[in-house]
Amino acid sequence: MRILVVEDDPLIGDGLKMGLSQLGFVVDWFRQGREGLAALTAAPFDAVVLDLGLPGMDGMDILTAWRKAGQDVPVLVLTARDALDDRLKGLDAGADDYLVKPFALSEVAARLRALIRRRHGQTSNRLSHGRVSLDPVARTAWLGEVPLELTARELALLELLLSSKDRVLPRELIEEKLYGWGQELESNAVEVYVHHLRKKLGAAFIRTQRGVGYALGEPA
Amino acid sequence: MMHQPTLQRRLAILLLVSVPLIWLVSTGVAAYVAHHEVDELYDTQLTLFARQLLIVNMGEHGDDLPLLPKTKKLIRGGDRGEAEDDDIGLAVWNADGNLLLSDGKGRRFTFDASRRGFYSVRADDGKDEWRLFYLPAPDGTRLVAVGQRQKLRHEVVVKVIEGQLLPWLLGLPVLLLLILWAVRKGLRPLQQVAGELGQRSVLDSTPLSENVPGEVLPMVQALNALFARIAEAMEHERRFTADAAHELRTPLAALQVQAEVMALMPDEAGRQHALQQLQLGIQRATRLLAQLLALSRLDPLQGLLSPQPVDWQQISRDALSDVTTAAAAKDTVLETHWQTSTKAVLPLNGDATLLTLLLRNLLDNAVRYCPAGSRIELLLLADEVVVQDNGPGIEAQWLSRVQERFFRPPGQEMPGSGLGLSIVERIASLHGLQMQLSNRDEGGLRVSLQRAA
Repeated sequence: MRILVVEDDPLIGDGLKMGLSQLGFVVDWFRQGREGLAALTAAPFDAVVLDLGLPGMDGMDILTAWRKAGQDVPVLVLTARDALDDRLKGLDAGADDYLVKPFALSEVAARLRALIRRRHGQTSNRLSHGRVSLDPVARTAWLGEVPLELTARELALLELLLSSKDRVLPRELIEEKLYGWGQELESNAVEVYVHHLRKKLGAAFIRTQRGVGYALGEPA
Repeated sequence: MMHQPTLQRRLAILLLVSVPLIWLVSTGVAAYVAHHEVDELYDTQLTLFARQLLIVNMGEHGDDLPLLPKTKKLIRGGDRGEAEDDDIGLAVWNADGNLLLSDGKGRRFTFDASRRGFYSVRADDGKDEWRLFYLPAPDGTRLVAVGQRQKLRHEVVVKVIEGQLLPWLLGLPVLLLLILWAVRKGLRPLQQVAGELGQRSVLDSTPLSENVPGEVLPMVQALNALFARIAEAMEHERRFTADAAHELRTPLAALQVQAEVMALMPDEAGRQHALQQLQLGIQRATRLLAQLLALSRLDPLQGLLSPQPVDWQQISRDALSDVTTAAAAKDTVLETHWQTSTKAVLPLNGDATLLTLLLRNLLDNAVRYCPAGSRIELLLLADEVVVQDNGPGIEAQWLSRVQERFFRPPGQEMPGSGLGLSIVERIASLHGLQMQLSNRDEGGLRVSLQRAA
């Protein structure tokens, strides 16, 4: 799941990027309000972590601008101001959730997952297709009762496929979801991960739509 | 409050003492004047009476004195008025002292051929005092004496005084009550103000009604001005506390996030990175706390405690030594220029510790915000102390705002509290100095401290 972090504080921003990456997210971090504003439309982000006190352009203005432009990406607002008034203002401006500093990284991750799940209309935390199931929090997938040995990227691809049932995912979209900006990307990386998953879950598990991309196939 | 002399009591005492005193004096004056007038009136009458007696030719009766019965009998039932026969008297003697004529108490008047004019005489019985007028005939054949009891005159004076005194005595309590009522009514607005103040909440800054008497208005206006100032100060405090809380939450959030990242990182390199970030965060929080404490100590100061002549050499040495390590790490050059003798630099009485803190903040800012390899100069002049650098300077639009507490121009790579220049400015103003920030034409920031105009 690809997350946009807009946070001016270098330590918090760095921590969010490093920590959320470890928790299975693909993170892009921007420090300036204006960069953050423009970044949202440049890649298919699943959710945004937005700090309200930003230099250059206030977080609230960015949020308002996004919502005005019809962006419905879930936004988690971070704020150091805990006055009720400030929180209400954030929610009114179109935030889906907020956290008051200082916060726990695990809570940011949990709330992001909840926001994304809600957006996809899922109620259960667990993703599944046939006998294959995946726990986004535990970062583990199972075939029946047997845990699967998957790398972080393979797990991310599986998570992407499971959360986009009945959809064909274009190759470029998969690339963008799996890699943040500035991350090294080999030309056939997606094919490699698809190949690995097919080896572990069966060739029919992932269906290739020639010239378009990939979709979930037969349940394993 | 009960033991404080109230205005009412003071007024009452003043009135009770002064009014009788004034009455006493005015009564004395009135008595004196009345006495004088009564004397004048009666003396004139006596004189006239005596002259008339001399004019009347009554022959030489000698033994055959005509005696009138009492007036009461003469008028028999007629209105006698207030007349009293025994209070007056007359006597006429011939040269030998034989009584030719007498009436009233005149028979008892003493014949003395040498007497002329007025005499005050005590009667034989010693009780009454009489006022007598002796008038001899021009040819010396007769002597007339007419007289009047002094009591008569005293009575007139006393009656006059009484007539004047009585209404005053009766009026005193009424006057007192009226005055107390007026005072109480006049002071009611004060009590109202006191009542309003008593019920006022600490946070209430609405002004008191200025619909009060002129005497109370200056006090109410002063109070309203005070409320406004207090409200302003409290708003300032509130904003500062909110800002401080905000600024403290951010470094805490950084620490929390980095600590979690450190626990999450699977590899040693990642843990090292998080540890470094954690240390940076701790440094930042420590620095922020130190700045906040410095500012909170500086804020309530009204002035310097014990200003001493300032030794800029010592101060600059101390301030520079605190930043040399950081400067060396960035290859930044620190230069000190004495453009006058060390003794002649900006002569000042002040607190060396505070001035060192001031200078260190300026130098620290310069080191912090200038790119590596920059050149920072400390200029010590006769009328100015300057810290200038050849870094990026401050965008013109932010120049006037950087002294604001917690304000930091956007796009800062370096962490900072946004309090450094607030501290500098506070210390400068305690020393009567003015801080001026400007961008140098050749690039870089120039911060100058001069005596405030």
